[in-house]
Amino acid sequence: MSDEVIQPRLEEKPVQPRDEGSPKESLALAIGIAGWLLPGLGHALQRMWGRAIIVFLTVGLLVTAGAMMRGNVFSSNATDAFDTLGYVADLGTGSFYLAARTLERNGADVSHADGDYGTRLLATAGVLNLLAALHAYEAARGRKA
Amino acid sequence: MPVNGFALTHFQALLFFAAIISVAFGFLGRRRPKDRIKYILWSFFLFLAVGIGIAWAMYPFSR
Repeated sequence: MSDEVIQPRLEEKPVQPRDEGSPKESLALAIGIAGWLLPGLGHALQRMWGRAIIVFLTVGLLVTAGAMMRGNVFSSNATDAFDTLGYVADLGTGSFYLAARTLERNGADVSHADGDYGTRLLATAGVLNLLAALHAYEAARGRKA
Repeated sequence: MPVNGFALTHFQALLFFAAIISVAFGFLGRRRPKDRIKYILWSFFLFLAVGIGIAWAMYPFSR
């Protein structure tokens, strides 16, 4: 009897090529961008109707309330880093950014608590929409969502 | 007449924010209706609890 230790054979798994640039990846990216441009569209394109409606309504409600409370809708000519961050967050709402600017005819008024809350609601809408767009993108890539 | 078109008290704003975000999180984070409802309610409760908790923690420094 030999005391040779039997080593388990390690089977090399073939390295899966990344599917970057593949049609599926491009489609997922397009779905993600669609979801960013129009809240809920990314999910609607994948027939996730419940999620699509909820994303559209929640982002829409936050933008409407934020604009009606005269929150600050940041523009591209930011004066400091916080304004730039606010602008990026607001841009997250996609086409609703333009709606917020249209709704807020009298301009921002952050001298009252309502205006300050409105600013936060607008930023939250943007970040929430970015999260939803990322979710739609991951779902389109086949990740469990 | 409110100064702005849409005025909320602090607590109403907290309720509004918590409700909207909880619903969105519930629908994005869970698939089954029962799981969604549980997640929404739990998330809503936590938003309120943390918000009120932080408000009380700041109360001694408010004046």
